[in-house]
Amino acid sequence: MVMATTQRLGGLRRGLALALVLAVLPAVGASAQEQLAIKGGRIIPIVGEPIDDGIILIRDGTIQAVGTDLEIPIEARVIDASGKVVLPGFVEPHSPEPLVQPNEVNPNVPFVTVVDAVDPNAIYFEEARRNGVTAVHAIPGNSTMFGGKSAVVKTSGTFAEDMVLKRDAGLKLSLRPAGSTSRMSHLARLRRELDETKRYMASLDEKAKEAEPESPDDEAEGQGSEGEPKAAQDEDEEADGGESDEESPSDDAAPDAQREAMVRLLKGELPAFLYCEQAMDVPHALKLIDDYGMKATLILGRDCHKAIGLLAGREEPVILDPELVFWETDPRTDRDDQIVLPRLYREAGVPITFQTSGSSLSSASTLGPSLLWYQAATAVKYGMPMDEALEALTLRPARLIGVDSFVGSIEPGKDADLVILSGEPLKLGTWVDATIIDGKVVYRREDDTRMKALLFPDEEPSAPE
Amino acid sequence: MRCCKIMLERFQDRRAGQGLPLPESSRTMSRSLHLRIRAWVAAAAPLVLLAVGPAAAAGDDGDVLIRAGSVVTVEGETFAPGAVLVSGGVIAGVGASIEAPEGAEVLDLGEGTTLLPGFVDVDLPGGVTGPSVEVTREITPRFNPLPAIDWSSRSFVEALAGGTTAGAFIPLSENVVPGMAPVVKTAGSRRVVEAEAALVVTVASDPASRNRSRTRPDSIYVRQPTNRMGVVAMLREALNRASRGAEPDLDTTLPVEADPYEPLRDVIQGRRSVLAISRTDYDILTVLRLAGEFGYAPIILGGQEAYKVAGPLAATGVPVVLGPLRINGPYGPERTELAWNTAGVLHEAGVAVALSGGDLLEQARFAARFGLPEEEALKAITIGPARVLGVADRLGSIAVGKAADLVALEGDPLEFTTPVRWVMVDGVVQFPRPKPSEED
Repeated sequence: MVMATTQRLGGLRRGLALALVLAVLPAVGASAQEQLAIKGGRIIPIVGEPIDDGIILIRDGTIQAVGTDLEIPIEARVIDASGKVVLPGFVEPHSPEPLVQPNEVNPNVPFVTVVDAVDPNAIYFEEARRNGVTAVHAIPGNSTMFGGKSAVVKTSGTFAEDMVLKRDAGLKLSLRPAGSTSRMSHLARLRRELDETKRYMASLDEKAKEAEPESPDDEAEGQGSEGEPKAAQDEDEEADGGESDEESPSDDAAPDAQREAMVRLLKGELPAFLYCEQAMDVPHALKLIDDYGMKATLILGRDCHKAIGLLAGREEPVILDPELVFWETDPRTDRDDQIVLPRLYREAGVPITFQTSGSSLSSASTLGPSLLWYQAATAVKYGMPMDEALEALTLRPARLIGVDSFVGSIEPGKDADLVILSGEPLKLGTWVDATIIDGKVVYRREDDTRMKALLFPDEEPSAPE
Repeated sequence: MRCCKIMLERFQDRRAGQGLPLPESSRTMSRSLHLRIRAWVAAAAPLVLLAVGPAAAAGDDGDVLIRAGSVVTVEGETFAPGAVLVSGGVIAGVGASIEAPEGAEVLDLGEGTTLLPGFVDVDLPGGVTGPSVEVTREITPRFNPLPAIDWSSRSFVEALAGGTTAGAFIPLSENVVPGMAPVVKTAGSRRVVEAEAALVVTVASDPASRNRSRTRPDSIYVRQPTNRMGVVAMLREALNRASRGAEPDLDTTLPVEADPYEPLRDVIQGRRSVLAISRTDYDILTVLRLAGEFGYAPIILGGQEAYKVAGPLAATGVPVVLGPLRINGPYGPERTELAWNTAGVLHEAGVAVALSGGDLLEQARFAARFGLPEEEALKAITIGPARVLGVADRLGSIAVGKAADLVALEGDPLEFTTPVRWVMVDGVVQFPRPKPSEED
């Protein structure tokens, strides 16, 4: 495999990132326009039919063209993927693992953001690149009522800021009471906070109305709080720094920083990611979504399959617990039943996505559930078609977390986040040969010395070539 | 590889030759223990039948012919396509094609399917109620988890659904000599295969972990050993006393036991196999050293760092039963440094390897992914562990005369996407269970 790695970092990444990449990658190109071509492999774009012996052209970290009869520019670095399979990078829709201390002690912290806690050196990211995961929805853990604002990050980088694909991707809510709190008081407090936010929003509206006749300039601002323009601004925040129009300190009509996330949640601008630990939490979650008009995705604990009837018909995919197959004993008859989550959700017509973190992981006797592709393989084992399994690793979670315009499929205009597999996906002997993020090779199996040390522990580490 | 096989066989032969080891000296007492165990099993049998339901009662004797896309016998050749004839719960024929005897039920699994022998787990997880060790003394060689086994435990059903049809219960490593490991089936009406398959000893820090030189004076934990050296010293002392026929040391050994040193003597004389719970490289070397001093052949159980001492293990022909590879954190139990391909490294060096600790098929799949040859990965969950437990004459491969413990798979056994279709124990399909409606 001829793999050339080229980097153009000028302006895009900061100096330290450059230093790190320089240290890690052997060849750093200096061309002004970074061009990369992947040729010869079987391309599974997720959107559209697989392309045998295809070519992907990449410029400045973005996919330019995908096809068979493409002319490779002479200045492009070429990765020969002959005999290999190229997929869009996998997307994990929910994980607190990139974070240091993912659960705040205070249960009500909607104003915090995970960007401040993402640890680029977390072992999670190394494993993610090794297993083809290129984007992850970094989100607070399940033990906090209003856990904070999540972010979608790429799995390679030196600074959390550099890795962010989408800031404020959602707000984490959990229906699991923390510590010794009862479910009654947990839910009551949750509703109280939401109601208070509603009242607060009403008072803001009133202030805006009062302000209206006096200063016509504020009119735009008043409308802004209705939703649409502000939402657009949030989308663009990452791209252009977006600090401009929330700045006027005298503006009483704008929510204060502590409540801003809650206000956006209730306006439907900030989607909720709602954790249900038990089946009994599911109807509460659905009622909350309904009562407060939230846009919400459900993260379902193992037990929630018992409420599957309530979920049937919802088109929104749910995020499942990593232990997809487990056993339950009927407390009265002592009858043991094998619960196969992918099969149950399939039968109920509820689309699923996977995650690799959760409390039940500690009971797993193999390392399988900690790998995203293994989750998909398990779903295939119990009846999910291979096409759907690959979609559930890529485009489906990308949509769920609102980044499908950037990642999740191999299409012109999308980020060049790609996985080159040594063979057919989800096979025992298939390995990730290379992972590419934003057109840069961030993982190469042949350079993975840590994995080599784990696979061939008795071999003396050879001097770096 | 060869030498260890020979050694193992030698030990099996010896044991077989002795007709299950019960030397004259203590026959009376040990018989009473046996009787006790037997009584227990007899008492438990109806319960077991109830738990399993009518599936066990039905079709016990009729012949069954199974045709599969391929029949992996594990010890012999693989037949593709293949057929297995089951008669009276025992395998009566194996081949590329077998004519169905008159009146035989025919199970045609179809193309692409695979038939494997039932898996054998040296360290069955769960299944025992309460701690499976008597902690009042350190040397309790005669204690056996058998009476504490909950025969209707979910652990059995889980193991069965994963294709595991038999396995051993290892008493907890809290004691220097925790006791005997019985081999049992995970389903069926005859659950106990071998009541005392192997003696378990601990060469790790576990027995010392709770003992304190100073704590409440009436605590049983005011005792030795309090460190790893003490564990080894106590084991060596027990073996020494046993070999010279000394009276039991009541400080370390429970007086209720009938000649507690007898199983140790059996070990020294090569009449009983011994499983040494041992994880770090230096503990494994200690096991080898002790075995050398007393001249017996141990089997390593755990073996998380065995890859570091693959050479000595291969040279002495000592097999290794690996515990499950988990990666919740960088270290394994006792802060062992885990390697993903321990099984592959050991096999490469010529060490016999078995996988244990639940989810055997998934473990074999990962072992194969990480470097153990596929054929060996299947052996490591079937004939390998059966040999370790000394039951390879009855279990562990598809061969005429062995128990009809079989696993039917929908495809390539080592692909992650291949589900188990059914699992047969002693000629009866026990998983999946019949639907409630069909049970009546």
